Amino acid sequence: MPLGIDRRLLLNVDWVLLGTALILSLVGVAMVYSAAHTGGSPDLHLKQLVLVGVGLLGLVGAAATDYRRLADRPVLLYVVSVLALAYVVRFGPLIAGTRRWVVIGGFQLQPSEFVKLAAAVVVAKIFAEYRQESLGLRDLLWPGAAVGLLGLLIALEPDLGTAACLVPMLFTVAFLAGLRMRAVVGLVVVMLLASALAWPFLRDYQKTRIYTFLDPSLDPKGAGYQKIQSQIAVGSGGVIGRGYLEGTQGQLGYLPARHTDFIFSVLAEEMGFLGVVAVLGLYLLVLWRMLETARLARDRLGAFLAAGITASLAFQVVYNVAMVAGLVPVKGLPLPLLSYGGSSVLATLMGVGLILSVRMRRFAN
Amino acid sequence: MRLYEDLRPVRTRLAVVQVVVAGLVALLLLQFWNLQVLRARHFQDLAENNRSRVVTIAAPRGALLDRQGQLLVGNRPSFNVVLTPEHAEDLDRVVTRVARTLGTGEAAIRERLARRRVPYEPVVVRSDADIAEVAALEARRLELPEVSIQVVPLRFYPLATAAAHALGRVGEISERQLDSPAFEGLEAGALVGQAGVEAQYNRALMGRDGYRRVIVNSRGLEVTEAQRQPPEDGPAFTLSLDTSLQMATERAFAGRAGSAVVLDPWTGEILAMTSTPAYDPNEFATGIDPTLWTSLANDPETPLMNRVIQGQYAPGSTFKIVMATAALEEGVITPETTFFCPGHLRVYGKVRHCSVPGGHGVVDVRRALAMSCNVFFYHVGMALEIERIAAWAKRMGLGEPTGVDLPHELGGLIPNPEWKLRTQKTAWYPGETVSVAIGQGQVTATPLQMARVAAIIANGGWLVRPHLVHSAGGGGLDFEPPRPIGISEETLAVVKEGMKAVVAGGTGWRARLRHTVVAGKTGTAQVVSREALERSPDDPSIQPHGWFVAFAPADEPRVALAVLVEHGGSSGVAAAVARSILARYFSEERRPAAPPPTAEAVD
Repeated sequence: MPLGIDRRLLLNVDWVLLGTALILSLVGVAMVYSAAHTGGSPDLHLKQLVLVGVGLLGLVGAAATDYRRLADRPVLLYVVSVLALAYVVRFGPLIAGTRRWVVIGGFQLQPSEFVKLAAAVVVAKIFAEYRQESLGLRDLLWPGAAVGLLGLLIALEPDLGTAACLVPMLFTVAFLAGLRMRAVVGLVVVMLLASALAWPFLRDYQKTRIYTFLDPSLDPKGAGYQKIQSQIAVGSGGVIGRGYLEGTQGQLGYLPARHTDFIFSVLAEEMGFLGVVAVLGLYLLVLWRMLETARLARDRLGAFLAAGITASLAFQVVYNVAMVAGLVPVKGLPLPLLSYGGSSVLATLMGVGLILSVRMRRFAN
Repeated sequence: MRLYEDLRPVRTRLAVVQVVVAGLVALLLLQFWNLQVLRARHFQDLAENNRSRVVTIAAPRGALLDRQGQLLVGNRPSFNVVLTPEHAEDLDRVVTRVARTLGTGEAAIRERLARRRVPYEPVVVRSDADIAEVAALEARRLELPEVSIQVVPLRFYPLATAAAHALGRVGEISERQLDSPAFEGLEAGALVGQAGVEAQYNRALMGRDGYRRVIVNSRGLEVTEAQRQPPEDGPAFTLSLDTSLQMATERAFAGRAGSAVVLDPWTGEILAMTSTPAYDPNEFATGIDPTLWTSLANDPETPLMNRVIQGQYAPGSTFKIVMATAALEEGVITPETTFFCPGHLRVYGKVRHCSVPGGHGVVDVRRALAMSCNVFFYHVGMALEIERIAAWAKRMGLGEPTGVDLPHELGGLIPNPEWKLRTQKTAWYPGETVSVAIGQGQVTATPLQMARVAAIIANGGWLVRPHLVHSAGGGGLDFEPPRPIGISEETLAVVKEGMKAVVAGGTGWRARLRHTVVAGKTGTAQVVSREALERSPDDPSIQPHGWFVAFAPADEPRVALAVLVEHGGSSGVAAAVARSILARYFSEERRPAAPPPTAEAVD
């Protein structure tokens, strides 16, 4: 497969998107340092920095790949994804009660992060093949089943947060592909029903999380603890924050998972409302530029691919930040680019790369 | 050649997606505005509260000293093992490890954890740990960061069981006390006085706890100290007790149940106070073991009861001091009035016996006291009638608490027709007056009240308020001064002569000392009827209680006392106990005197 990058492609690189993503990654490195330097592994920020470097390589590689070529073999992509997930669920090492990782050459990789990208490609391909003006619920059946299987496998790890990212991806693309408004409404109804029906199948700890979200004082030390401590961290940051490395909630260890899922709490505590506005502004800029790419894409496949990746990214950002602010139940979902974690950083930057690829080829044949 | 797709509808819908994303981000910002701008103060307080802990520095309780400055109650350092459950990630595991390290059961630790009321407050899981246990825990400091050792002063009673009821004990504050205003500001787990002087003067003895405000991390480890307020030690209290006299009093009982109290008749200061069986207050110092508590509380011998102020017994013949005083003052007899005692008297159709079957012959009031002649006082009782008897008994401090500085004092009972009508809805029988006249029937009094009756005769007619505390923190305490109750010199002299005769050649001869003249009065408090006692004369539990009240030296009194020996059979044992006490006081500890040929060992 020719990977040559000609000058015309370089002219259409979205430097704003690339630059913003890079800035966010570096903010992430700084926050990982703040969150983890007093703990048992003081060099975590350096690892994160290396991972950002690796992620940039992945980004360049993805950008250099023609997304149309990538979408030429959807069945292969899909089968590989299913096999990888099935392998992890069956043979992955048990870490903290879950099987989410494969260990390759001493590195832990989380296949589900990459499956999200594959899913975006597959979903974009399926919907791009539809030729009719508007779609009904019946047209969702086939892609829904395909994505559903992936989601199910990820949920089995279990990693409900990542599995949930597939849902907005599917629906955003379906919406763009012309899903009728009636179907959209119907879908919302079906979703509500489904969540009600799913209740008995939730694990106890998942139910506890929902209960304690509704009333954190039920379990101030257990499941409610994270929400309470996170809100204290955020709120005590005030307008200008307590200063870098000065947040007591983070530095004294009251915040759980502070270098991973709750890194935004550390940021909010130390940088205050101004820091929150700045970082959320950067995220909005990233998402906006990505959707802009979808708008400028030369074909439906490109538009859907960009929109699908954006949708799952937007869901992650919004859900994670809403969780930090105590608006939604606590769920293990990293904040893309900021949270510590190799697979997340790598996959997110590769996703950005794919979107760059779409934009770069808007005029290409 | 490639056909361009029509992307216009896609772009229209993309605009919707963009708006949704922007809207969601705006919503998030709104929430952050709410948390970080509008409610920042609130959360800053919470964060501060999170990271800073107030650790109290217990103020040592004030020491209790005897009248010579000898230590009665002090403090010694002890180690408490404390655990803050909030800081434990896996509480079960921590409890298991602590239990294994200390070699105790997990259940006891869990029970203490469950009783806690205030969150983030360290819970004492082991009080008064020994050095080996402390060392074992310190060695595991890194594995068990939620566990720490506190050094706290612990109450220490060098006399152990001696004077236990007077000194009292400390114990963990109870739920009920926590809600009462007297214990305002105290928290669960605080050690407070639960009996005796410890309880009566609890707040003053406690001093004021200090505190340290420390910054801790999420595992509860102290990072730095932010503020310190040193404690104010509780002031030392000097009691009127005399340790050597107290010990002599304890020894005098030699394992018998009963009580004794020795007063300074002029001031009401208590020199010795014993109630047996007693308990060791040291066992309460760390918060008592529940099984020990149950066994003490359910013991039929009631070791927790202070018999000196809570034991209400029929005063028996010791009440004749009151009767003689009343009769002389009311003029129903003169010092020269005599009655003939044939050994019994038929009153209101019932034959009443005297203390000796053959009778005492012709007796005046002095001899009636000395020989404890019932017949004489039957006549006196009928002449006085119940109202005047009751009035004089009250005047001499019976029927109501003395106001001693100890908690839960009882007042005994002086019956009268009004009382009987109110409580039993029946009229007073004249025959009851005859029983009251010899201190039987419904009359009851505490040993402390009877000691004060002796003090009245000793000090020339003054009612004193008994008390244990001489001074607190260097300053004297203001007790109400003794007040005269209006008894003539002549009456006092006659009663005193009678009481001297009791010891010199009467029923109380066992209390006689070689160089000191003792004035006293014996008494027997019947537990069951005379007939029941005759049916099973060997059952120790139905033997009557023996009384002896006295003061000495008779003409320049320095001490007044009351002794009660439960089921002593007669007053003889009580008189012997009194003699041991007085002998110690007057340094005349030699063999008891031989019985005088005339006296019979009965009253």
